[in-house]
Amino acid sequence: MTSRQFLVIVAAVQGVLLVALVVLIILNRWVRARRRAQLDPHRLELDAVMQRWALGQAQSDDVLRSLARLPAPLAIDALVTWSARIVSERWQELARGLEHQWWARLVRASSRSARWWKRLDAARFLSVVATPRDVGRVLRLLRDSHPAVQIAAATTLERVDSQLLVTAALEQLPFLGPTVQAYYASVLKRARPAVVRHLQLLFRRLNDPRLPRIIEFAGRLQEPALREGFTTLATHLDAEVRSQVARALGRFPHPESVAALSYLVQDEAWPVRAQAVRSLGMIGDPKTLPLVREALRDAEWWVRLRAGLALTRMGTTGRNGLLEAEVGADPDARDMARLILGLSPQALAEFAA
Amino acid sequence: MSTAVHVTDLLILVYFLALNSFYALLLVLSIPEIWEQTRLAEDEDFQRLMQSDALPPITVLVPAYNETATIEASVTAMLTLEYRTFEVVVVNDGSKDDTLDQLRHAFDLYEVPRTYRETLPTQAVRAVYRSRSRTRLLVIDKENGGKADSLNAAINASRFPLVIAVDADTLIEPDALLRLTRSFLLGRQIAAVGGTVRVANGCVVKDGRVADARVPRRFLPGVQVVEYLRAFLFGRLGWNRLGGSLVISGAFGMFRKEYLLAVGGYQVTSVVEDLDLVVRLHRHLRRHKIRYEIPFIPDPVAWTEVPESGRILSRQRERWHRGLIAAMWQHRGMLLNPRYGRVGCVAMPFFTFGEMLAPVVEVAGYLITAVGFAFHLIDLSFALLFVLVAWGYGMLLSLWAVVLEEVSFRRYGRLGDLLRLLGYAVLEAFGYRQRTVWWRLKAFWWAFQGRRAWGEMTRKGFESAGKQVAEQATARRAD
Repeated sequence: MTSRQFLVIVAAVQGVLLVALVVLIILNRWVRARRRAQLDPHRLELDAVMQRWALGQAQSDDVLRSLARLPAPLAIDALVTWSARIVSERWQELARGLEHQWWARLVRASSRSARWWKRLDAARFLSVVATPRDVGRVLRLLRDSHPAVQIAAATTLERVDSQLLVTAALEQLPFLGPTVQAYYASVLKRARPAVVRHLQLLFRRLNDPRLPRIIEFAGRLQEPALREGFTTLATHLDAEVRSQVARALGRFPHPESVAALSYLVQDEAWPVRAQAVRSLGMIGDPKTLPLVREALRDAEWWVRLRAGLALTRMGTTGRNGLLEAEVGADPDARDMARLILGLSPQALAEFAA
Repeated sequence: MSTAVHVTDLLILVYFLALNSFYALLLVLSIPEIWEQTRLAEDEDFQRLMQSDALPPITVLVPAYNETATIEASVTAMLTLEYRTFEVVVVNDGSKDDTLDQLRHAFDLYEVPRTYRETLPTQAVRAVYRSRSRTRLLVIDKENGGKADSLNAAINASRFPLVIAVDADTLIEPDALLRLTRSFLLGRQIAAVGGTVRVANGCVVKDGRVADARVPRRFLPGVQVVEYLRAFLFGRLGWNRLGGSLVISGAFGMFRKEYLLAVGGYQVTSVVEDLDLVVRLHRHLRRHKIRYEIPFIPDPVAWTEVPESGRILSRQRERWHRGLIAAMWQHRGMLLNPRYGRVGCVAMPFFTFGEMLAPVVEVAGYLITAVGFAFHLIDLSFALLFVLVAWGYGMLLSLWAVVLEEVSFRRYGRLGDLLRLLGYAVLEAFGYRQRTVWWRLKAFWWAFQGRRAWGEMTRKGFESAGKQVAEQATARRAD
C-alpha cells in the first residue's frame, strides 16, 4: 500500500467519524429533550404528592404510585431528597410500603449486581428506606469493592439499628482513609450504645496496629463511658496511640484525665506533648498551671504555641503566666508569649477551634 | 532530493499518526472515566455532605496583583462557597493600584500579629490582616515577588491540610469545593486534584457567579472554549487512567499541603508554576515511594477570562510553551526513567515529544510539503491530502470534546451555543491552529534566550448580568 492510499483511507475514516459525531451530538440533544418532556410531569407530580403526604393530606399509597411512574434512579433521587424533610415515623411507613413495590424489589436485587453503579443505586436506596430485613444486603454493600457504594451503605447506619452492621463498620474503620473514617464516625454517632460496647472490646487489643485510628474515632464520640479506656492507654508504647489519647482526654474534665495528661505532657514525643498541653488547656484545671507554663519553654515551637494558647484558657492566672513569660529570661517562651498576647480574641477563638 | 523530501514527509506523517493515535487512546480512556465521574457526580448527596463534619478543611489561596477591578467580587464569591470549614488567604503581591485599600474597605480589615512560621521563603511580608466582618478571611500584604511567591506566602499562613490555589480573577462555582473533595471521601490517596476550568467570556456573571453559560460570539474567545473543553474533558480525563497528568491548572487545583512543603512550594523562577509544581510532586512522591494519585475531576468548575486579542493570547501561549520547555528540560532526568513509573515512561515522553516538539514538527511538515510542491517533488493532491488528514485529526478531537460535554455536563444549553461550539471545532483548524503553532515555536527562541518574563495580561472584566463591566485591570508580572 502506498502512502497516498493510506492517507486516502485515513481521510475517508475521518470523514465518516466526523459526520457520525455530529449526528451523535444532535441525536443526544433530541433524545434528552424528549425524555425530559416525558419525565418532567411525573417528577412534578411526585413532588406535589410528597408535599401533600408530608402535610398529612395524602396517603402513602399515592406516593408509592407516583414513585412507580419514575425510572428507578430518579425515584431514588427523590427519596434521598425527601428523606431529610419527613418525620421518622411517617418515613418508616413509606419504607415498609416500598418493600412490596416491584421496582423497589428490583433495586434491592441489584445489590448483587456486577455493575458498581447498580450497586450504588441499591446502596443509596437502602440508605433511606432500609428495614431490618435489609441488614444482610447492607452488610454486603458495606464490604463492597467500590468506595462510593461503601459510603452510601454506611449512611444506612443512621436509620437501621443493628449490632451486626455497627460491628462490621467499626472493624472496617481503621483501614479507611481519614475523611472516610470521619464520615463513618458521623453516621455511627447515632448508634452510640452498640458502638461504645464494641469500642470497649477493641480498646483491649493492645497490639492491634489499628488502635490509633480506633482511639481517634472514639475521641470524636465524646462518650464518658470510654474515658477510663483512654486513661489506661496513656502508657502505651506507640507514640501515635499516646498522641490520640492525649487529644481525646481533653474532652473529659476528670481528675483521672488530668493525671494522665500531666504524665503525657512530659512525653518524649513532641506531638504527644503538644496534644497533652492543648487538652490541659481545654480542661483548665488550675493545678496543672505549672506544667503548662513549663511547656511554654519546650524545645518544640508547636508545643510552645499550644502551651501559650492553653494559658489563655486558664483564666487570670494563665494570663499572668503569659505576662511573666513575656518579660522572662527564656527567649523562646518570651517570643511565644508576645505572639499569643498579640492575638485578637477572634484569632484565639479560631485557634481553639 | 526527491527521496529526502519523501522520507522526511513520511517521517512527519508517522510522527503525526503516532501522536494522534496517542490522543485517540486518551479519547478512548476518557469514555469510562467520564461515565464513572458523571455517575458519581449525579449521585452525590451534597446536602448531607454540607452537614457532615467529615470533609477535610481547606484553605483557599488567592494571589492578587493589581486586581482592583475584580478583587471585591471574587473574594466575596469565594467567602460564600458551599463548604463547611474553609478559610480564604488573599495575598496582595505589592500591587501598584489600590487592591489592598479595596480589600480593607470592603471587608473591614484590621492588622494582626503574624502567628505562623515562614516555612517557605518569600519576599518580606509587610502586614497581616483579619476581617471584622468575615472571620474566614486573612489578607497578607507583601513585597512584590510574583504569583509563585504569593502562593508560597499564602501556604505559610494557611492553617488547613488542603490548599487550593485560585486566581483572583477566577470565579468558582458554589459547590466546587464539595465536588473537589469527593475523591477524599472515596478513600483515595490524593496528593493533588484538579478541576475543570471553563471560559467565562460571553457568560452572564451575577454576584461573582456565572449565572448563564454562553459560548462567545467572537471567534478568538469562542475557539478557546473548544480548546479548554478538549484539554480538560478528554485530555486530562484520559490521563486519569494513565497514572495522572503532569498538569493541574494553576487557576483551580487543590493540593495536600504537606507535599507542597516537602517539595519546597512553588518555584518562583518558573513561568508556568503549576506544571513545574506537579512534575516536582510526581518526582518527590515516586522517589519516596509514597502511594499517591493526582486525578482530575471534571464536575468542579471554575470560570476564567481568556484573552480576546491575538496579541495577548500570543503572549500567554508563548509563556505556557516556554514553561513547558523549561520544565521538561529541568526534569529531563525523569524522561524514560523507569524509576518514575508511568510518569517517567508515558507522561514525560508524551509531554516532551508530543506536546513540546509538536509545533516544530508541524512547521517542518508544512515547510517540507511546500518545498516538495514547489520543486514538483510532491503533487498537489498528495500535499492537500496530507494537510487534510493532519487537520482532520484535530477536528475529530475537538468534536469529541464537544460530545463529552454534551453527554455529561451540558453547560451550554442553547442550540445556538451548541452550533457555535461545532463551528469553532471545525474552523479552529483553518488559521487559528497555525497561529498557535507559530506562538509556541517562538517560545523555543525565548526559552533559549533564558527569558523569564510573564508579559502583560489585560483583562476586560466579567459581564455583569448582561451588562459589560467597564473596568480594566492590567496585571503585569515581574520576573
